[in-house]
Amino acid sequence: MTEPVVFDGASPLTAGMPNFSQDLFDTVREPLLILDAALRVHAANRAFYDTFQVTLADTENRLIYELGNGQWDIAALRTLLEDIVPASSVFNDFELEHDFPSIGRRVMLLNARKLRQGSHAELLVLAMEDITIRRRGEGEIAKAKEAAETSNRTKSLFLANMSHELRTPLNAILGYSEILQEEVAELDLPQFSADLAKISGAGKHLLGLINDILDLSKIEAGKMELHLERFEIAELINEVVSTIAIQARQNGNNLEVLCPPDIGVMVADLSKVRQALLNLASNAAKFTNDGSIKLETERQVMDNADWIVFRVSDTGIGLDADQIVRLFQPFTQADASTTRKFGGTGLGLSLTRRFCQIMSGDVTVHSVGGEGSVFTIKLPAVVPDQPLGDIGIEDRRKPAAVLDPATVDDVESLPAPGTCVLVIDDDPVQRELMQRYLGKEGFTVRTASGGVEGVRLARQLAPAAITLDVMMPDMDGWSVLSALKADRALRDVPVIMLTMVDDPERGFALGASDYATKPVNRVRLSQIVKKHMCPNPPCPVLLVDDDASFRDVTRAMLEREGWSVSEAENGAAALKSMQAHRPSLIFLDLIMPVMNGFEFAAAVRHHPEWRSIPIIVITSQDLDSDDRRRLNGYVHTILQKEGASRDSLLEQVRDALTDSNTPRLAPQKTLDA
Amino acid sequence: MTTILIVEDNEMNRDMLSRRLQKRGFEIILALEGQAGIDAAAASKPDLILMDLSLPVMDGWQATQRLKADSDLRQIPVIALSAHAMETDREKALQAGCDDFDTKPIDMPRLMAKIEALLAPRAERISP
Repeated sequence: MTEPVVFDGASPLTAGMPNFSQDLFDTVREPLLILDAALRVHAANRAFYDTFQVTLADTENRLIYELGNGQWDIAALRTLLEDIVPASSVFNDFELEHDFPSIGRRVMLLNARKLRQGSHAELLVLAMEDITIRRRGEGEIAKAKEAAETSNRTKSLFLANMSHELRTPLNAILGYSEILQEEVAELDLPQFSADLAKISGAGKHLLGLINDILDLSKIEAGKMELHLERFEIAELINEVVSTIAIQARQNGNNLEVLCPPDIGVMVADLSKVRQALLNLASNAAKFTNDGSIKLETERQVMDNADWIVFRVSDTGIGLDADQIVRLFQPFTQADASTTRKFGGTGLGLSLTRRFCQIMSGDVTVHSVGGEGSVFTIKLPAVVPDQPLGDIGIEDRRKPAAVLDPATVDDVESLPAPGTCVLVIDDDPVQRELMQRYLGKEGFTVRTASGGVEGVRLARQLAPAAITLDVMMPDMDGWSVLSALKADRALRDVPVIMLTMVDDPERGFALGASDYATKPVNRVRLSQIVKKHMCPNPPCPVLLVDDDASFRDVTRAMLEREGWSVSEAENGAAALKSMQAHRPSLIFLDLIMPVMNGFEFAAAVRHHPEWRSIPIIVITSQDLDSDDRRRLNGYVHTILQKEGASRDSLLEQVRDALTDSNTPRLAPQKTLDA
Repeated sequence: MTTILIVEDNEMNRDMLSRRLQKRGFEIILALEGQAGIDAAAASKPDLILMDLSLPVMDGWQATQRLKADSDLRQIPVIALSAHAMETDREKALQAGCDDFDTKPIDMPRLMAKIEALLAPRAERISP
């Protein structure tokens, strides 16, 4: 046997390849040290020399504490190397902050491992990662977050004070115009009464707006309280109808009311339910002309509990997907021109949603531009006494069961692997609701407020299923999904994607140039192709889709337009084909076996010569059962967040768990058998 | 005749409220701040008090607490009037001993309903 070259007792694999280990060692980008039992440096890699600006002569065979004139003689490091590692043989994520004379103050994350007994026994590997910039960044983010929260509180306080200051003079305007109205009536001076009515009407409108602002600032300051009372639903509906009937008729609308007379009572905050319904109904009346408005009320049993569902539908101007996304945001009307045409502050829907949410319910919308809208309020028939956590400001008061990052490392608090559902969503309301729905079904629920935290928790919890929001600020759902699927241990965990609406952004976020949904219509396709005009036909286009029939159809369409088409059935095949022929345009399906569209797009974007090639993302809008089978554990389901009933949501989670139970929860048995 | 004491420092509010209540047949007594309100209540034993909360010298909360601590005056119902619509204001007023609470700007039908509700038990006691 050849003498070991780099380490004592090198494995037969490296024998005869003297530089093999050192080359491997030098390829690693993190600084690495190999120490012997006496903590003498046995070897170091190139990254170590580069990072700490030291030479091989100053390093090898020195005690670690002697390195760089003693700059490594650090108490915390002594603890790690002399106390912790000998006892546990592996230690990860040891954070060391130290003033290194040559490179300044750095935060290093250390992993240490004693090599296995046997040929390398007693050698110790120390890997370092410089996380100084990351830590600094985190500090800045925390500061920025605090500043943002302070400014939000200041804003709420300002709004509360301002609305109070506005109410005082308004009080006089309204009061005196009403006194005058009364006196004009007594003195029989009808010529003044119309103008006085306008003054008091405008004053009341202004008062309504100020009250909305006050309500919103109360919610944002976490000061909105519920006054629960028991009331007859039919009476409430009558009251709403009588208020709204005149407005509805003014625009020539027909008002239809469906409310079972035996609908009974509910326990909720009457004035908030009333205000929410009035908001929806008066919007419907405002945005509909010579059409019909329907107000339906029904009692439904969901999750073994009674819910009251109010539905306000109209045949008015409707909303497109873009508008729906912004609809419930304060101070945002669907269209800036709406404000001019229809008036209003844009606070109504935002308040309606907040009111419903603090009563443990929600309001959803279904609408098609030009064809009317349906707004649905769902409230528990008996609203629980304790409102949901802080709805207004994210994370100020966390719901009790949200995993506090500080306790995450406490192994005692971790549920057994494969038993819990991890909810990843940046919206605290959504997290709380998911927690309730799933908790009621007997699932242990853990939540993460962002992608980074979600991935970390997923690794720690090994959940049975994950629900994942697509749009999150720190790391979008698709990236989270890629990270989850890249992790061997998490690859098989079913992921349920929750998406607000089918949104082009997810394609663009990947670096896509354009976006289309399946089935692709010919006109849309030819529009896209024309936009990315081929200068000298025939231009090469690459079609990446695992569906052969779709490729055939698209190829025919593209060839007719003068493109020369090559095909690939997945991302990996596409990358290979691109090495031979650089296409001018790529059509990309997102969900494919071997290498999916997300990974492929990322690879293309990292390649300097390919970076500029436009990619058109094509994906299924609604996944049918065939699509689901094709997903093959990648994305279990794509749900539409808005309007998805909790029943269908639960069904998906149950499905996902059933599917995953077979391979995941009984692997031991399979091995034994 | 039913007498109402209005404790209010704002001249316009005092003027409007007293004119509208007089028109509805009430006799009105006015006071400009809390201590004057207590004195007026003791002197003329009104049937009801409308108490603004933010007042100079002695505020409405304190004046109400004093009124409710006085065995001669505690049975007079007090309705707090405040431009603050925050829920805590309502609670603070009720804790101080106010019998009801209403917000400004005054909604006359709503205020009248509250006044009548508080006067009704007295009327029943008196009428038989």
